[in-house]
Amino acid sequence: MATPILVSSCARAATSKEAAYRLDYPLAHARSTRVIAFDPAAAEVVRAVSDGPWGQAHFYTASVSGAELITLSGEARPMAAELEHSDSVIMVATNAINARAVAAVGAVCRERSTMTAGLLMTDEGSLAGDTLMAIRPYARILLVPAEHDDLFELLRATRA
Amino acid sequence: MLRPDINDLLTQTGPGTPMGDLFRRYWQPVLHTEELPEDGCPPVRVKILSERLIAVRTPEGEYGLMDEFCAHRGVSMFFGRVEEGGIRCPYHGWKYNAAGQAVDVPSELDNSDFCKNVKLRSYPLVKVGDILWAYLGDPAAQPPLPSWEFATVPEKQTFTSKRFQECNWLQALEGGIDSSHVTWLHGGGPSGKGLEADPLFAGSRGNHYNKNDLKPFFEVVENDGGLLIGARRNAEDGQYYWRVTPWVLPNFTMVPPRGDHPMHGHFWVPIDDENCWAWSFDYHPARELSVKEVDAMRAGAGVHSENIPGTYRPVANKENDYLIDRDKQRTGELFSGVKGIAIQDSSLQESMGPIVDRTKERLVATDAGIIKARQKLRRAVEALRDHGTEPVGNVPEHQAIRSVAIVLPADQPFVEGIGEAFQARPGVPQTTV
Ligand code: FES
Ligand SMILES: [Fe+2]
Repeated sequence: MATPILVSSCARAATSKEAAYRLDYPLAHARSTRVIAFDPAAAEVVRAVSDGPWGQAHFYTASVSGAELITLSGEARPMAAELEHSDSVIMVATNAINARAVAAVGAVCRERSTMTAGLLMTDEGSLAGDTLMAIRPYARILLVPAEHDDLFELLRATRA
Repeated sequence: MLRPDINDLLTQTGPGTPMGDLFRRYWQPVLHTEELPEDGCPPVRVKILSERLIAVRTPEGEYGLMDEFCAHRGVSMFFGRVEEGGIRCPYHGWKYNAAGQAVDVPSELDNSDFCKNVKLRSYPLVKVGDILWAYLGDPAAQPPLPSWEFATVPEKQTFTSKRFQECNWLQALEGGIDSSHVTWLHGGGPSGKGLEADPLFAGSRGNHYNKNDLKPFFEVVENDGGLLIGARRNAEDGQYYWRVTPWVLPNFTMVPPRGDHPMHGHFWVPIDDENCWAWSFDYHPARELSVKEVDAMRAGAGVHSENIPGTYRPVANKENDYLIDRDKQRTGELFSGVKGIAIQDSSLQESMGPIVDRTKERLVATDAGIIKARQKLRRAVEALRDHGTEPVGNVPEHQAIRSVAIVLPADQPFVEGIGEAFQARPGVPQTTV
């Protein structure tokens, strides 16, 4: 038999309001979420979301080799350095996905154990198998297909 | 993190709330048939979606579900007397039929038509499988009767239980969708015997894949009635072992099968905003359940719980800290120290408080499945509220669904690889590893 618990035990508050009590202090934001578009159509989606109320998320498209990430204002930066202090990388792609760049980014994330999520934006049902195969090995979780507000929701829910 | 107004929107299901209106578009399980076991048996109190109701089974075998309180002066009809054709209030003798219509008001003259204007709000209550289902919504929008496979296979192939859970329904549902907790909480992490210790899971090849790969990848796929959540782990020869969990709006989930064990799943039904019923079913599409299996289910194995006799409250509950065994937790024999899948889930979900404050969450990218499910629920609620759009999940096409466990080549989308396997097909065994 477990140790009896007194009625006044602190974990068991009397009213539901008390039971719902949580210390109030600011929770840390996610750290340097990187959102990367891997084709022109995906870049449109990323651009549309990028001016949202984000704390520290950065938005890019990838160069063909994946060695560079290009900011939305057009500045090219070395990919590996850009991902250095990131908690999570969100990969956004459509059917025109650049598989080489995905693999390059994915390999860096894997090596550093950075959390990865993939959003496959496409018209329902028209997702080509090779797009899925290009991103599947690298995204710990994949939304297939992702809808247009999924990126916004994911960033908001993770406090990006 | 979820905005407070959206947390309220998704967690409040009483009359007149938007989520309450959504739930009122579905048949929901309200009673196990064993609760109204025979014609003329005592009535049973029902609380669902914050409404207090009374369920009766007349001596003629008619089921009825109506407002719990007598129209006259508001006493609980739980104390009523079930009589030919209905139930009579013990206070001043007003009598109602199964549809809640007053049929006898003794204080009135014999030929008075006073009765005609007295009716308790009532809802249809029907038996499908081991469950009595109710529809609390607009009669004009009533969907077809529930046709879930577990409730429509022959009687000896299915078993249903329920347990009282002391938290909001959404916390419980999210546990059903959050496949990434299974490795830890139920599997016991790297050292645990976890699933092999349960007679209703033991011996499946899938258990080895589970144990050998503790970091599954997930794919969340849109499906007509909701989502398919696929967890993949490495299998031999570069293939993948997939476990696919369907969620059908708003509150139905199934667990992927293991070996030839019966397959199982849940309904998470709001009682009120701070309590829910966790319904658990087990069925085999192609054979009868064995006596041994049913005994194990009754004893609380698999997804079921051992309940306090005569009630649906688990023996291990909030009052006794779920009988947590710190020695077993320390040694790793039981990863959480709590016994049984059902109570492992309820202990943690209840520990979050009656309605968890989702503004304080620190979700991560791999919680995308939960984020997506909340989003779909919210959209369905808003579409119904703002445009009267009928939600998905309340028609037979969306209910003819199964969970699946399968090994597939690495280059195949799982939905393609599974093909018909996630369709319920009468008499066809489940696809399982
Ligand atoms: S209160 Fe029911 S008959 Fe008077
Ligand atoms: Fe669980």
